[in-house]
Amino acid sequence: MKRFSPGAAAALALSAVITVGSVSLLGPCVHEDGSFGSCHWAGQALLGIGLLLAVLSLAALLVKDGRLRAGMLFAAAAAAILGIFVPGTLIHLCGMATMRCRAVMRPAMTLLCALTALSCLTGGIAAYRKAGSEK
Amino acid sequence: MKRRSLAVKNLLRKPGRTSALVILTALLALSVFGGSVVVGSLRQGFRSLESRLGADIIVVPSSAQSKVSFQNMLLQGTNGAFYMDGKNLDRVREVAGVELAAPQVFLASLKADCCSVKIQVIGFDPETDFFVRPWIEQSYTRQLGDLDVVVGSKVESGVGEIIRIYDERCKVVGRLAATGTGLDTAVYCNLSTMKMLLTAAEEKGVSHKVSSDESDDRISAIYVKVKDGYDIGAVNSEIQGHTRKCSAVRTKSMLTDVSDSLSAISGTVATLIGAIWLLSLVILVVAFVMIANERKREFAVLRLLGTSRAMLGGMILKESALCSLAGGALGVLTASMLVFPFTTLIETRLGLPYLRPSAGTITALALAALAATVMVGSLASSWASFRLSRVDPGTVLREGN
Repeated sequence: MKRFSPGAAAALALSAVITVGSVSLLGPCVHEDGSFGSCHWAGQALLGIGLLLAVLSLAALLVKDGRLRAGMLFAAAAAAILGIFVPGTLIHLCGMATMRCRAVMRPAMTLLCALTALSCLTGGIAAYRKAGSEK
Repeated sequence: MKRRSLAVKNLLRKPGRTSALVILTALLALSVFGGSVVVGSLRQGFRSLESRLGADIIVVPSSAQSKVSFQNMLLQGTNGAFYMDGKNLDRVREVAGVELAAPQVFLASLKADCCSVKIQVIGFDPETDFFVRPWIEQSYTRQLGDLDVVVGSKVESGVGEIIRIYDERCKVVGRLAATGTGLDTAVYCNLSTMKMLLTAAEEKGVSHKVSSDESDDRISAIYVKVKDGYDIGAVNSEIQGHTRKCSAVRTKSMLTDVSDSLSAISGTVATLIGAIWLLSLVILVVAFVMIANERKREFAVLRLLGTSRAMLGGMILKESALCSLAGGALGVLTASMLVFPFTTLIETRLGLPYLRPSAGTITALALAALAATVMVGSLASSWASFRLSRVDPGTVLREGN
């Protein structure tokens, strides 16, 4: 089994952006009084999902077994799809469309999670097919 | 049929070269589609503002005008709280040529639990209003009761939901259609509700520039409609002379300011698109010429095998058209992913009315961008196609030896 998987590499890069972004530029609203809104917890959930995606995609890059790699990438794709629904659907965001959590965090994270899911799925399918043909 | 498959095979045989051409043409489509959607949204926003500003003149306190707070409130949704003597309303109504004059009271710094930000509450008189009411009637036709509010499209509360403003439970009875202006972030209520909210705020120890006792006598803005046949400029000057510590602003001058900003942004976007297109066109032409040189022997062999010049030229054009089509689709898709989800962010950053055009217009823009990309791609390859089809197979193959 070839070691390098472009799908896993792309997923690793995207999950790094999700992880770092959820606590910086692409994160939830910062309240002046230091209080936390529900969007804060959406940001925390995305941080967790980002870390999980990073671990899974890194592991998928390192393992040699094709079926194991495919399994890891499919699990990562499921986590990324979950990430799409975290801001706004599973965890409520602030009530004004102009606030950062709605104007920046939600669209950016939806886009990044969708791209990660796509990378993982294509990488996973490629790895699964390759493993099947090598048998 | 065979030629078609050969063109596709050629593209698949060289994935690196094909990818580079696809990315280059994607850049063209991205710039033209993204740019035209942004400019189209700005124009649509301007039209929306134009139609929303049903008043000919707006009278605001001098302090508001000097700080440009009213225009900012209208365009960017900045919270505004400025007040003037309520007697100014009677003075305006006395001016010859004034057909309608409707007051509004603005309340800023009200912290609503819905969003933990200060929201703008706009109180209006349903009896005399002609500015907000027609807009509200599109989504809510009944009379606004006490503690009933209608929210702008950017306030994320559904009809029937309760929003708490200073612990007053306000029922959302309607959501307004998007205007692409700062009015979308406001909450609208009648003057009686406004008074209740002020009282509630005072009970919580939050003071405003206007207290609930004097709220009947204080107003924030007067929207004036001038009778037909009267000169708006003359009526404006007359109002200015009749009122105290007020500025009468012609909505036309406000629109001119917005229009100037819009023209400047449209010009910048058009220049950027032009520069990207020129650069990409040059790169594409150079790329196709280089590819043509690289593929001389391949085409010489094809000529020896009996392929006509027209067939060769057609094949190159087909290859470039396929690359441009794929690149165009990729560019339109990328632009859609960058522009549509971040509409609010773009609007906030530009500080101008921004309203997304209709789905039909967007589809037309996407198709136009796709067609332009394919046309430019084919045009860029036409020189290379012409040169290759004129290649003398014997000379080329001898050169190789």
